[in-house]
Amino acid sequence: MNNYVKTALAVALSACTFSMAVAQDKVISVGLNGDIRSTDPGVNRDDNTDAVMMHIVEGLVAYREDTSVAPMLASAVAVSPDGLRYTFTLRDGVHFQNGQLLTAKDVQWTWQRYLDPKTQWRCLAEFDGRGAAKIVDVAAPDANTVVFTLDQANGLFLAAMARPDCAGSGILHPDSLAADGSWRAPIGTGPFTLGKWQKGQYVELERFKAYSPRAEATADGYTGNKQAFVDKVRFEVIPDSASAKAALLSGGVDLLPDVTAMDAAQLKQVKNLQVQVSPIMTISGLLFQTRDPLLKDVRIRRAVALSLDYSQMVAALSDGLSVPNNSIIPTASPYYDSTAHQGYTYNLDEARRLLKEAGYRGEKIRMLVNKRYPQMFDMGLLSQAMTQAAGLNIEMETLEWGTQLERYQTGSYQMMSFSYSGRFDAAQSYESVIGDKDKEPRKVWDNPEALAILREAQREVDPAKRRPLFDQLHTLMLKDVPMVVIYNGTAIGVMGKRVEGYRSWPVAKPRLWGVKLADTSK
Amino acid sequence: MAVPTLLLISVIVFALIRLIPGDPALLMLGDMADPQSLADMRSSLGLDHSVVTQYLIWIKSVLSGDLGVSISSRQPVLDLLVERFSVSATVVLVAVLLATLLAVPVGLLAAWKQNSAMDLGLVVTATLLLSVPSFWLGLLLLYVFGIQLGWLPVIGYVGFGSDPMKALTYVVLPIVTLTLVEFGAIARMARASTIEVLRLEYIAHARAKGLSEGAVLWKHALRNAFAPTWTLIGLILGNLLGGIAVLETVFTLPGIGRLMVDAIFSRDYPVLQGCLLLITCIYVLVNLLVDLLYPLFDPRVKL
Repeated sequence: MNNYVKTALAVALSACTFSMAVAQDKVISVGLNGDIRSTDPGVNRDDNTDAVMMHIVEGLVAYREDTSVAPMLASAVAVSPDGLRYTFTLRDGVHFQNGQLLTAKDVQWTWQRYLDPKTQWRCLAEFDGRGAAKIVDVAAPDANTVVFTLDQANGLFLAAMARPDCAGSGILHPDSLAADGSWRAPIGTGPFTLGKWQKGQYVELERFKAYSPRAEATADGYTGNKQAFVDKVRFEVIPDSASAKAALLSGGVDLLPDVTAMDAAQLKQVKNLQVQVSPIMTISGLLFQTRDPLLKDVRIRRAVALSLDYSQMVAALSDGLSVPNNSIIPTASPYYDSTAHQGYTYNLDEARRLLKEAGYRGEKIRMLVNKRYPQMFDMGLLSQAMTQAAGLNIEMETLEWGTQLERYQTGSYQMMSFSYSGRFDAAQSYESVIGDKDKEPRKVWDNPEALAILREAQREVDPAKRRPLFDQLHTLMLKDVPMVVIYNGTAIGVMGKRVEGYRSWPVAKPRLWGVKLADTSK
Repeated sequence: MAVPTLLLISVIVFALIRLIPGDPALLMLGDMADPQSLADMRSSLGLDHSVVTQYLIWIKSVLSGDLGVSISSRQPVLDLLVERFSVSATVVLVAVLLATLLAVPVGLLAAWKQNSAMDLGLVVTATLLLSVPSFWLGLLLLYVFGIQLGWLPVIGYVGFGSDPMKALTYVVLPIVTLTLVEFGAIARMARASTIEVLRLEYIAHARAKGLSEGAVLWKHALRNAFAPTWTLIGLILGNLLGGIAVLETVFTLPGIGRLMVDAIFSRDYPVLQGCLLLITCIYVLVNLLVDLLYPLFDPRVKL
């Protein structure tokens, strides 16, 4: 073979290799601790389903990085002075993943579907009058305008709309349904489309090439510029945490979005890994049954609160990544202020005095815990140990999570170590604990005064007017001690060095837009 | 007999599952569930009927070949069972076959050389493998072959129908783990039963006739010694085919064991009922098969 032929072959080979490299998709693998339930956003769902679906669908509004609400598919939102009408102006040029242009009619169709009880939308109760307000009409006066009319003012309307467990009230194209009205597949406006779902194994998303990003320079929570840079996202189902770590170490996955503090401390030592930490909105603490013959005495509940060394406890529970918080408003919330920062001060002498005054003689108090969520068990264990010093006799009863949840729902417990899932508005946080125990036994704080303040905060639209209401509630809650909030969790993402631009955030769900994969082949 | 047995089992399975505290509707809605949403969800799942009515609805569907629909994924239970069982069965059948092929000759050899250094070595190895928890061995193999050497994938599964070679790389480690664990049990049983057989008079007679040791072992000892081992293999198969939940979790295999564990956590009654019925049927079937094949190894046993 002469040199010319050899050179030509070499060049051809190099060209082939180069074109193959160029053509190769950039795929990021992300570990999920369980499979998704369905592809129907906000309907048959759980946390993992929400996390995946929020890449495919987008709502009119969405949460920012700081959990405040901002427009997403809307370019502007106008609220009437009486708080009854919300007018959304749609962004121009937004396309669905089937190529169709987004119009007000699509928004109207989507909301009619959500508000139909047959759809079984997770968040129907928030909008049909069972919650704070009822949507009485969704109108589309022109192709770019949607008007929602409520029966009463509701300060939570936009926050409820943006909730990830409602799939952000994502707008769908009618072709997402089959001709007979059954669910087919989500056709949204998000930066990724649904590729393949191999049940029990993985869900693959593909970059939506005609995605219409917002004009902002960067992504901001679930809104902002959500341009995708990877061609595919593959969510791998890995239920076992040890296997997930092994997958990360071997390069089988690029990112684990939610590892425990203990695992993070270990993985931090590995050279080629990077760790991302963010406070999240979960609320962890001890719940009291205030109708229990023993715990109905606020002095005993207060004694529990005063016998906990919060700094030491939270440092141990979070491996130093979280801070104590005695407020039901998470530290990451825009409503977390100097009043919310005030809490209980560790004071064993005062705790002992209160117990003596209440006539407590070492009666057994049963505290429910579970091992499905290790932080709840550990929190119970540390609380038990610390309260012993004050003379409290707390005994732990370990239940399976489903059983504990049922006991929570029916209010059949004395005490329990519990974590509330993230609520993104302060009123939602308070709403989860305040209420009439006769109607809803799960509510831990049955106080008419608190309920009245909460209703006012739910009706109020102006954030500046809502803040003092939340401050009042916090002060009242510290006095009543229906529960002891201890801390908010952290989202800890661990990823390989080639992953660029990934950030953990208070909503604690992975976001793969804006994420790049560095070329490590060089 | 099979029909009344299965009907009785169906009642037990149905009742047992409902004795577990916990509400599937509540697990789906979580801590945000309001009473109305909870009642609506229960109604949509058919949980608002009495337990007897629920049972009658379910058994009527089962008898017509419909095992219902999963509460969690809304998929037909039968489809889920078929899909997941094929994964577990592939791993289990290959592993038990390999374990048998390796363990029986090893047990035979150990018995033949009883009390020798080789016997001691084989017994210690078998006992060690029997004692090691499968998840620990699995994680160890994952660490060595997946992380350190990078030869095999650490997570995932590919069906043999789509890419046989790639599929093989995903099941090698679970199969090796299970083979090693079951090897210990089968080898010990093969050794013990061979030792007993080697003490019998007909073996002394065969040796006295001048037969070679190989012929004595393979032709005369093995067939009789294998019968109890065969029973053990039947029991192992029955147990394992019901799901290898721990290994499936470690190796992220979408098998029936993991399906059942997930169904327990989410109180997915239809899936759980389907899994338990299937496992019961498999157990009965495998044991029946073992009994039917028993005379092949020990002609003294006639059905």
